[in-house]
Amino acid sequence: MDFQSCVNIKKEWDIVGARQLGRDIARKIGFGTVDQARIATAISELARNIYLYAGTGKICFETIEEMEQKGIMILALDNGPGIKELSLVMEDGYSTSGGLGAGLPGVKRLMDEFDIHSEEGKGTEIKVIKWLR
Amino acid sequence: MSTLKLELENYKELLQEYIRTKDEQALYQAEQFSKQSMQHNISPEEIINVHIQSLEEIYPDMPDYIQASMSFLLETMISYGLAYQEYQSLRERQLELKSEISVAANMQKTLLSTVKPELDELDIGALSVPAKQMNGDYHHFVYDGDGALGIAVADVIGKGVPAALCMSMIKYSMDSFPEMRMDPSVILGSLNRVVERNVDSSMFITMFYGMYDTKDHTFSFSSAGHEPGFYYHKDKDEFEEIDVPGLVLGVSAETTYKQKQLKVEQGDMVILLTDGVTECRQGDRFIEQEEILHVIKSYAHLPSQEIVEQVYKHFERLQDFQLRDDFTLIILRRNV
Amino acid sequence: MNLTIDVTNKENLAYLSLSGEVDAFTAPKLKEALLPLTKEEGQTVEVDLQDVNYMDSTGLGVFISALKSTKEHNSEMRLVHLQERVYRLFKITGLTEIITIDSAVRGEK
Repeated sequence: MDFQSCVNIKKEWDIVGARQLGRDIARKIGFGTVDQARIATAISELARNIYLYAGTGKICFETIEEMEQKGIMILALDNGPGIKELSLVMEDGYSTSGGLGAGLPGVKRLMDEFDIHSEEGKGTEIKVIKWLR
Repeated sequence: MSTLKLELENYKELLQEYIRTKDEQALYQAEQFSKQSMQHNISPEEIINVHIQSLEEIYPDMPDYIQASMSFLLETMISYGLAYQEYQSLRERQLELKSEISVAANMQKTLLSTVKPELDELDIGALSVPAKQMNGDYHHFVYDGDGALGIAVADVIGKGVPAALCMSMIKYSMDSFPEMRMDPSVILGSLNRVVERNVDSSMFITMFYGMYDTKDHTFSFSSAGHEPGFYYHKDKDEFEEIDVPGLVLGVSAETTYKQKQLKVEQGDMVILLTDGVTECRQGDRFIEQEEILHVIKSYAHLPSQEIVEQVYKHFERLQDFQLRDDFTLIILRRNV
Repeated sequence: MNLTIDVTNKENLAYLSLSGEVDAFTAPKLKEALLPLTKEEGQTVEVDLQDVNYMDSTGLGVFISALKSTKEHNSEMRLVHLQERVYRLFKITGLTEIITIDSAVRGEK
């Protein structure tokens, strides 16, 4: 898949860069303030997961323009340890960091579509889409 | 979308009115609005958004810095919104679990139900009340129709669902015993082997098994580490502890159980219980054994079933109606 | 109420001093501290219960699994300084017969 733009996540500061780029793209597509904030928060969660658990990875963005709808697709990629029990991390109330992060269930709520592939020892790929209404 | 629009209009009017009048009435309506929003699963950031839009419409030349500060506030609310949604979904799941547990509790009730036999020779009282939905205590009567009444009283370590599951296992094994009269020590021995094979190493069960012979009024009993029972001598108006040493079920497969027998005189009582009765606590104070016996004695003139119910009520009140442990009390009194 | 656990290690002796209540809430903490110690071969684990004023059946369960573990791993466990009420619990359940309990130095109530 060819993506317009990606942000590498290596340090915490990169999370801000990813948010910024994602928000700009969302604004251009025509998302309102609330959805922009939601998209930015989802990006934060995805990027923070990469930063905390995989060390490095990247967040990529793509504008989707179909006949009937427009939207933003965000892809989070890393070559980290992967997630052993997907169903567990997708459960509400589960948080490994013990912090207040919304976690992946939060990302799923913020966006319209959510897909995750993870292989132990190889890495994780999360794809999310938010449609413009 | 249309309902949201409608609410936006509504909100704008309310806000305008409040700014104009500073009236409590408008604030009360704001409260109503917030409750309605919750009912419709509207998250806090959406309310802030409605606020921003209303402000923009009421004050078209709102300064930039106000606008910016509002966007800032909206951003900070996103995580609260997520936490709220998570809370909602966890709450729904909790309700689901609750109803599942209550179904399971009903199944357990059916499975473990026991019929208190009506015998001319014996006046029997039995009460078992769980501290939580599922009961970790268990009692069971088996009457062979020919003078032999078997009584089992058991307590599984811990409470709640795991204890209840374990109890169901015991019930199944007891049901699989042959109908014929069996010695309490033999019954405990075979149950011990079942439990030892099937439960986790930190799990165990205590059980008192008694056999009342209504023909010669003897009571034979064995105990697997269970709370001792009591024998009440009517003529002396005194209690005597009835205990026989024995290891709890499920710890060591080789354990054998001792058995004792006593002769029951007319009007005397055999009292069996679980540690939910002896471990009653009032605040930080433990309720001493003498106190339990004292309470039983004070109701001794009543039929057995009424005694156990009165004793329960007494300790329930002492513990502020919050049982800490499952409570089981059985009284057998020789009538004739 | 809470439970505090102090562990001191001396060569082949692990000494656990407990203080507080051992019940359904604190038992997992005890299990976490006690069980690994019983898994070391040749180890003697001494548990001092002088300051334990309450224990329920969940607490007994922890000592039963620890006992089973000592048999598996060739280690030993003994309990010392039990208060009257706690000792009664071990006595009733028949555990005094299979767990080494130093009742001679049983603490005062």
